[in-house]
Amino acid sequence: MKFKKKFSPSGFIVLAIMAITLAAPILSPYDPYAIGVGEPFVGPGWKHLMGTDDLGRDLLSRVLYGGRITVFIALAATIIALIIGTLWGMIAGVQRGWVDEILMRTADATMAIPQILFALVCVAAVGASVVSLPIVVGILLSPTTARMARTAVVVELASDYVVAAKATGLKKSRLIMTEVLPNIAPQLLVQLSINAASAVMIEASLSFIGLGIQPPNASWGTLMLQGYGKLWNTYWFVLFPALVVTATILAFNSYGERIRVSLDSRKSSI
Amino acid sequence: MVLVFLSIRVLPGDPVLARLGAATEVTPEALKALRVEAGLDRSLLAQLFSWLSHAVRGDLGVSYISQFPVTQLVGERIPVTLELTFFIILLSCIFSLILAPLSILKPGGKLDRFIGSLTSIGLSVPGFVTGIIFILIFSLTLQWLPSLGYVPITEDLGKNLQLLIMPSITGALTATPYLVRYLRASMLEIKQSSFIRTAEGKGLSDSRIMFRHILPNSLVPTLTMLGLIVGYTLSGVIVIEYMFGLPGIGSLAIEGAFKRDYAIIQGVSLVIISLFILTTLLFDILCGIVDPRLRVTKERQNEI
Amino acid sequence: MTSSLVVKNLSISVPSSKGRVAVVDNVSFEIPAGKKVGMVGESGSGKSLTAYALMRLIKNPVSIDGGEIFLGGREILGLSPKDFRLLRGNEISMIYQDPMSALNPIMKVGQQIIESIQLHSPVSKAIARKTAIELLASVGIPEPESRIDSFPFEMSGGMLQRVVIAIALSGEPQVLIADEATTALDVTTQDRVLTLIDKLAAERGLSVLLITHDLGVAAQFSDEIMVMYAGKLVENGSVNQIFSNPAHPYTKALLDSRCDYTIDVNKPINSIAGQPPRPDNRPTGCVFSPRCAHVQDQCKTSVPPLTSSQGRLTACFRADELFQVGSAN
Repeated sequence: MKFKKKFSPSGFIVLAIMAITLAAPILSPYDPYAIGVGEPFVGPGWKHLMGTDDLGRDLLSRVLYGGRITVFIALAATIIALIIGTLWGMIAGVQRGWVDEILMRTADATMAIPQILFALVCVAAVGASVVSLPIVVGILLSPTTARMARTAVVVELASDYVVAAKATGLKKSRLIMTEVLPNIAPQLLVQLSINAASAVMIEASLSFIGLGIQPPNASWGTLMLQGYGKLWNTYWFVLFPALVVTATILAFNSYGERIRVSLDSRKSSI
Repeated sequence: MVLVFLSIRVLPGDPVLARLGAATEVTPEALKALRVEAGLDRSLLAQLFSWLSHAVRGDLGVSYISQFPVTQLVGERIPVTLELTFFIILLSCIFSLILAPLSILKPGGKLDRFIGSLTSIGLSVPGFVTGIIFILIFSLTLQWLPSLGYVPITEDLGKNLQLLIMPSITGALTATPYLVRYLRASMLEIKQSSFIRTAEGKGLSDSRIMFRHILPNSLVPTLTMLGLIVGYTLSGVIVIEYMFGLPGIGSLAIEGAFKRDYAIIQGVSLVIISLFILTTLLFDILCGIVDPRLRVTKERQNEI
Repeated sequence: MTSSLVVKNLSISVPSSKGRVAVVDNVSFEIPAGKKVGMVGESGSGKSLTAYALMRLIKNPVSIDGGEIFLGGREILGLSPKDFRLLRGNEISMIYQDPMSALNPIMKVGQQIIESIQLHSPVSKAIARKTAIELLASVGIPEPESRIDSFPFEMSGGMLQRVVIAIALSGEPQVLIADEATTALDVTTQDRVLTLIDKLAAERGLSVLLITHDLGVAAQFSDEIMVMYAGKLVENGSVNQIFSNPAHPYTKALLDSRCDYTIDVNKPINSIAGQPPRPDNRPTGCVFSPRCAHVQDQCKTSVPPLTSSQGRLTACFRADELFQVGSAN
């Protein structure tokens, strides 16, 4: 399965964001926790590209490190959602019958619950940390992946090459691993990207209302919370993390859309 | 419908989980006392059952921390949320009903693509970011609107609306992109259908075709979607209430979560989900009003 | 007699991998007032598109490349869309193939007729409603006073087609186009609908253009026949002439390939070898030449114009010559 070798701006941005956050320690000019490296509430300028916060901490560094946390949580959640969702959907799609019914009904029920409410309840129960959040968000996002995986599996299992493979006596589990999985991989990638976008949004929202990552650690959402409190003094404290968050979500969404569009166009040209 | 009822049973499961979490946060002695008092020593299932049976009778228990009956707290705050949700749905519908037809006029044309990009950006911007931007512009810089607080409608209508403008628009802006996309797709599909060709063949004007033929037929599938979008928006409402200082049940939920006050969390969850179910039901009924094909039962019976 | 409809050199094209290609190529014909003309041809021959062009319902990416259309003496392709819209439904109307999907499913049937009535004449709702009931009666719908408030899903295909006809006639047009109007109906209903159109056309002095791929239907209904093949009009004459003595090789082959209970079951069916050419693959010269039994070199290089031969118009170089041969047999 080859993809069109065209330069994808959104894909590039996605990779760039991940690379930059990974390289945060190298890139940030100051220690994000160091208080007083600059005067408090200094606006954006050459010395501090994003300005400083109320305690004189360099904002750019905080944003970079915050990115590490947010992006990590988002990606971890996405991977968890992927694993759970794919297994969920595949079992349903392969077994069919009442197993399928129950699994899918559960998925629908979970999807019906307003997302932040769900996350809120879970966080209240288990607390928020870099470990718990990916799990919570991952579970939250898995039903959509499950639905998609199930549909994809059902479609694939009905197609000719599967029937042919079965006719040659291929064992079911091998069949799934070697034939079906690679074929649904592109769709899973789309889901992955979109889920990443949602994960960032949920994490940011949670942290913004104070139920996410707690200080002194700061994800982008936490930064915005702190900035929001100081809105009267500075606008950039909130603005920069907000811009970065939006850009990240947009990048993930666009990338997912792009893959989906190229998938659809390939399907219709067959 | 069944699915939504299932969900309402799922969520109380979570607060029960939350209760388990509660058990670890208090000192052992106080813990023991609390447990007995709150009935935590009974089995999980028994607890769930007893809570549900109380809830159905309108008794949502007593808040652990504040000792006020949860029902009372919810009752005080629900009008705020209802008013906010109402405005959000209203504004979302208005925005979508303007943007989607505009998109359809020339599918693929400049305006259509522009609106498309707007929706893409719209769904990527978290609700609270839009809120922040609004506050920055309208409250701080231009000083037009106050940003925080709430005044009940019975006290002062003007102030009430003034304080609700920004939160409502913010909420609407999170829901509108989804609604516009769905409505547009639905309308585009209808536009290609045969009966629109008949309508053109009659010599009807484009606008008449748009509003009397395309739109009504696109509404039915969209109404069902709207129900789900409302569910999604209810999530956002929680955050919006918090950041705009509106004392609704969303911010109550947040407070409850902060304080680990499980009675509140459970109660609010139940109410929010019920609200969601009710709106979905409402939209289902609306579907029946718009589409005569869904109303057959009575007429069929008469014919027989 | 004046003509209700005159078409001159109509050409319609669509985009393809080879650029724009003609799907209707330089077609000209006339429909005299009060006459019923049947346009026959296979799918893809361009007949439906011609009809849509008459109603100016051709949309991107299909476009009208050239030609003129005169409706009641007035050229309509040059009119602005706004001006033409006043004529649509008013002077020229159309009924369509699938009645089940031709009406707005959530609007009452009567309302859809009333909408059309009020569009074309400034009358009150009450009068429009009365007119609609009369129209429903005239198309043979029983109990029109109650049926007027029915929804499309409550009516059968035959009844719906009558409603479509009612709508088409509500503007009192001069010309009615029926695009495969009976194809989706069963044979009995087909017959009833055709009889109805016949009756209404006679009552109102309508010109009718009936588009169909069913030769039997065309023969039964029309006064004149036009034969379309691969975007070109190949023969045009009275129904008697065409069916008893086809001049164009394609028409001949078409009629020869008909099957009914009188054919010899032991002989193979006379199908025409080959396929009609795709729009992007039309041959130079006569468009039927690759499949023609009487093809000559001339046919492959130049396009035969519509010439008069035995009292009808034929696009074949050898029409007269072949006729001699035929009448000798």
